[in-house]
Amino acid sequence: MTAAKKRPMKAENVSTNEAFHFPQGLAGFSDATEFGFIYEGHGDIVCLQSIDQPEAAFLITAWDEERLGPRPSLPKDLCNCIEIEEQESIMWMLVLNPFADKAWVTANLKAPIALNPKTRLGLQCIRPDPTLEIRYHWMKQPEDK
Amino acid sequence: MLVLRRKIGEVIQINDDIRIIIQDVQNEHIVRIGIEAPPEIPVHRLEIYNLIQEENKSAGSAGALNWLKGAAYDDSSKEETDES
Repeated sequence: MTAAKKRPMKAENVSTNEAFHFPQGLAGFSDATEFGFIYEGHGDIVCLQSIDQPEAAFLITAWDEERLGPRPSLPKDLCNCIEIEEQESIMWMLVLNPFADKAWVTANLKAPIALNPKTRLGLQCIRPDPTLEIRYHWMKQPEDK
Repeated sequence: MLVLRRKIGEVIQINDDIRIIIQDVQNEHIVRIGIEAPPEIPVHRLEIYNLIQEENKSAGSAGALNWLKGAAYDDSSKEETDES
């Protein structure tokens, strides 16, 4: 999550200059193609905020290799979509869901987000592997929300 | 719905840049198809796409930022909860 941490932003400061373009949008939000990062100083979680569709905002955090194993591999056609040349250059992020479970914040391992920080392009990579969890228990819900 | 009959190897063209090619029919029930589409056109199995769409709608809301602002986030909670 280092890149997001290095670029702390306040909600009101999300500008199109700092935006990431998602050519495919996100499933269920296909019209949301421009996103900015909002960092609120909470550990390694940032908010991926749609610029063109304000109601589309996602909490994301970096793929944790220690916990989840090797980072996913992006299929070649999707590499072309975000103009990535080397898999190692991809910044993999997980979409967190703090609303689905009262006790847990869950992480979607089946559809992580791949970012190319150089071209500022991103996409949600839907992985067909049926064993991948959509609501992986990522962390306990904070007590004092 | 438009319904077309195609043989193995035949193609369906959609617009200028999307092609669906019938590759094989196995056991009279399973059809293998190839799809050529521009990279910005997402192509997925419907049942998987629906799952992700529902999860995105559940996770992605204007309330996400408020949750983050209100969260008494503690880094240590992650280590404690390493299970699934």
